[in-house]
Amino acid sequence: MSEVKETAASSCASSGEFIPKIVMFCCNWCSYAGADGAGIARFQQPTNVRVIRVMCSSRVDPIHIYTAFLEGADAVLVTGCHIGDCHYVNANDKTLVKYKFIKDMLNEMGLEDDRLMLRWISAAEGQQFAEFVAEMVEKVTALGPSPLRKEGVV
Amino acid sequence: MSAPENAAQAGTPAPTGAPPEKKPPAPSAVGDLLKGSDIQVGGKYIGWSVREDIRKAGGSGGLVTAVLAGALEKGLVEHVLALKKSSQYEAVSVLTSDVEDVYASVGSMHMLVSNPGKHLRQFQNDASIALVVKPCDMRGIREQQKRNVIDPDRIFTIGLNCGGTMMPYKMRRVTEEVYGVDPNDVRAEEIEKGKLILETADGQHHAQSIEVLEEDNNGRRENCRYCIVKIATNSDLACGNWGVMPDYSGKATFVEVMTEKGAEFLRNAIDGGYAEAKMASEPAEEARSKVNGVMLKMSAKTKEQIIVPLHSQTFEAFKKELVNCINCGACKTVCPPCACGTEAKCTAFDDPADGYDISLFHMVRFLHLMDSCVSCGQCTDVCPADIPLANLYRKFADPLQEELNYVTGMDDRTPPFFEIKLEEMN
Repeated sequence: MSEVKETAASSCASSGEFIPKIVMFCCNWCSYAGADGAGIARFQQPTNVRVIRVMCSSRVDPIHIYTAFLEGADAVLVTGCHIGDCHYVNANDKTLVKYKFIKDMLNEMGLEDDRLMLRWISAAEGQQFAEFVAEMVEKVTALGPSPLRKEGVV
Repeated sequence: MSAPENAAQAGTPAPTGAPPEKKPPAPSAVGDLLKGSDIQVGGKYIGWSVREDIRKAGGSGGLVTAVLAGALEKGLVEHVLALKKSSQYEAVSVLTSDVEDVYASVGSMHMLVSNPGKHLRQFQNDASIALVVKPCDMRGIREQQKRNVIDPDRIFTIGLNCGGTMMPYKMRRVTEEVYGVDPNDVRAEEIEKGKLILETADGQHHAQSIEVLEEDNNGRRENCRYCIVKIATNSDLACGNWGVMPDYSGKATFVEVMTEKGAEFLRNAIDGGYAEAKMASEPAEEARSKVNGVMLKMSAKTKEQIIVPLHSQTFEAFKKELVNCINCGACKTVCPPCACGTEAKCTAFDDPADGYDISLFHMVRFLHLMDSCVSCGQCTDVCPADIPLANLYRKFADPLQEELNYVTGMDDRTPPFFEIKLEEMN
């Protein structure tokens, strides 16, 4: 962990500009395959995203999202199968409920709307995956560092 | 206890021969004394204890005490969770099977913040328990029922109308400074017509307007001032003195039967010779909802002043509120709807060594309470660092509960967080 932080710190310090760090949760059955597809098809995308594979988007607990923010992520993206296509019948409906709660909470707290995003990306949508990442990196770069970021974390 | 001197004797019908030049006050009750079989769910009655001493000591007729005593002696419940008074400002919750303890607990205590829902959990599912609750306590119990912590079949609740409670330590000071009375001399108290009346050992009544007290932040707790549930319609029996007209003032209780269980317990009290009741008159019902309406309007106004500005708080200002937190966890321990127990998500992943700006403990609790906060204010009361936690929880809970039209703990509706069901695919 500390090694990762150091590399990130040095890369940021050398250029002096803000490079956003984004944590992205991808579901094993759709979005992760979508990310794979984006790679195979060689769609260009920024390198700010750290992908974490989970079995289902509903596995993403509020704790995971909060920890990501508190540890210094500038944005958290959650992706999963389209509604109705869930590998676990209706688990992404549960993701929706959870997402609504977390989103409302973070917004009420004063965090910008774009810092947490949910998107359904299927296994075939490699291009959408790359576009989503590019779009979010651009938005978060414009927003600047997250206010939840611990002091001293670059 | 603070009945006007010209009030009719308890148990006698309303005065019919009032002076002709003045419109006679509407009677509280109509008809004759009821039999147990007359009690129906949804019915509204005026009741009182048959025992003279209990009527005298009780806040308004001692009906609640009578129902509890009846339930205990006839074996409807095994225990009663009663308050054991040590003074008008202090009491401890005791789980008792002794009916004398129940009789001893008679009388109202506004200057005390009890949390029966939390005690209940320790004994739950071992025995059937009857207890007296404020609306917020009952909301907490209901939220725990929804999370399968408390078994609704094993408890019987009598809800009391609640315009608000006051902090004991503050009221001791107020008694001394504003009333000019030694707090140790206070024997009983009652709230009537917006006035807090203290009765001292020598039988004298001392009254002060609550509104005036609140101007100096000395009256009800902040949470009570913006509370939105004043009548405990979520309990089995909703009791209180609102709606009792002058003819019975201080001598009877207005009771609304909310559930079949409530009807059973009230029948038991009447048939067992513990209480007497009459049908409530229409003016009495109207008076009750009028008082409720006035209280709710006041609450809405306070909410406008306290909670609404919090929504436009900046992130920096919000962070500052939590700076003093010492990680004691008291807010979670007292929280009535918190159903997780000792092994909870908010504490399991929280480590002060992380040094986060806002601890995971608070982040998780803000989220969990969005659909379960009952606005009781216990968290603010116990916080050793004086963080206005209840207001912060409301800041998160209010918009969501309003949007989803969900009033916590008032009915059996599934909490929105768990509302997803498996549906047939077409």
